[in-house]
Amino acid sequence: MMAFYFSRLVEIFPFFLKGLWMTSQIAFISLATCTVLGFVLGILRSGKNKLIRWIIGVYVSFVRGTPFVVQVFIVFFILPEWGIQLKAFQAALLAMAIMGSAFICEIVAGGINAIPKGQWEAGTASGLSLVQQLRLVIVPQAMKVILPPLVGQYVLLIKDTSVVSVIGVMELTRVGWVTVVRIPEGLMVFSLVGILYFVISYPLILLSNYLERRMAV
Amino acid sequence: MIEFKHVNKWFGKLHVLDDVNLEIDKGEVLVICGPSGSGKSTLIRCINRLEPIQEGEIVVDGVPVHDKATNLTKLRADIGFVFQQFHLYPHMTVLQNVMLAPVNVRKIPSDKAEEIAREKLIQVGLTDKAGAYPAQLSGGQQQRVAIARGLAMSPKIMLFDEPTSALDPEMIGEVLDVMVNLVSEGMTMCVVTHEMGFARKVADRVLFMDMGKIVETGKPDEFFDNPQTHRAADFISKILTH
Repeated sequence: MMAFYFSRLVEIFPFFLKGLWMTSQIAFISLATCTVLGFVLGILRSGKNKLIRWIIGVYVSFVRGTPFVVQVFIVFFILPEWGIQLKAFQAALLAMAIMGSAFICEIVAGGINAIPKGQWEAGTASGLSLVQQLRLVIVPQAMKVILPPLVGQYVLLIKDTSVVSVIGVMELTRVGWVTVVRIPEGLMVFSLVGILYFVISYPLILLSNYLERRMAV
Repeated sequence: MIEFKHVNKWFGKLHVLDDVNLEIDKGEVLVICGPSGSGKSTLIRCINRLEPIQEGEIVVDGVPVHDKATNLTKLRADIGFVFQQFHLYPHMTVLQNVMLAPVNVRKIPSDKAEEIAREKLIQVGLTDKAGAYPAQLSGGQQQRVAIARGLAMSPKIMLFDEPTSALDPEMIGEVLDVMVNLVSEGMTMCVVTHEMGFARKVADRVLFMDMGKIVETGKPDEFFDNPQTHRAADFISKILTH
């Protein structure tokens, strides 16, 4: 019996690979977007403008204080109300970007705030513009603080892509769901799904551990 | 070169600069001393607007620093600032520290900037440390790099905020020597310090501050030997007994 299921599984393995490809796409695009957005927000959050800081703070609190699955539904269902039709894939990317950038924003702001005020002053006093101070002096130093938790966050975000299966995006978890309907060997199906996630996450976990050790020195 | 007119500044309720009037000429060496919390550091930090003021006027080399609309990038590039805690960039080598502003602010090509930087490192006596990182240097060496970093911009004015206060005693001399050499080159300098020997040797004028006010100014020898106010006399006796 087991052998029979296994051969079925081999038969539909290409289907899993498609799911993996979709998951990788969502992960890659949303990680890139989250990183850019997260850095911009994080830099603004560590800045002097109180209003901007407050607004970003509210945004971050909202994202942290609500389940991601609810955020996905909000993005997927609220935009059509305003006449914006999003495909499930686009909604998934948007929800990921909103959620991920909030977490990365906090990591970046934390890193920047860890740099002593004197570093800003030294830059200011020598005539560097604010952007130059950030680019040449502050961010390169803050990266030591930012990088280990950032890569850790990447792992969490990759795993969170499984949530967008709820709006029907045919990524890895969704493929698992669809498959168990046909092959009632749930353990085997979802073990395979799990292994495929692990294959993408594990290198990043190793990288995060490595960075943590290196940056601690 | 530098002019303060009725400058007032508050930190919350604390009146840190109380109606400060001051003129510093080109080529003048001014030493500012006074008890801690007297406003002397704040005073020189106002010159390049590391601290904003609330009232009055500060004009430096013709630029109205007090005016919030003034873009200070250009002026700041012309003023070297040396901090008590050095504030070198820890992620860069000594050479990169000194080259950073010339390349990015003055837009000097990097080979030329390196030449300037090495020249300034020779001037502060650190030829062999160009490739080292700040953390590998002693305090005195770090402060000399900080001075070279300021000089690499060919500044019109050098400001020193207690440049030797964070140093071990045996390193103070090497930093002061570099500063004395600068004086002989005719640099306009404002130095917040309690180093009386330095003040006597090179200062054109000593300015004594207390509670945000300029209490007394005078030639160094007159000031130290024959202070006109009680507070100055009291202060001098305290730094002398240590």
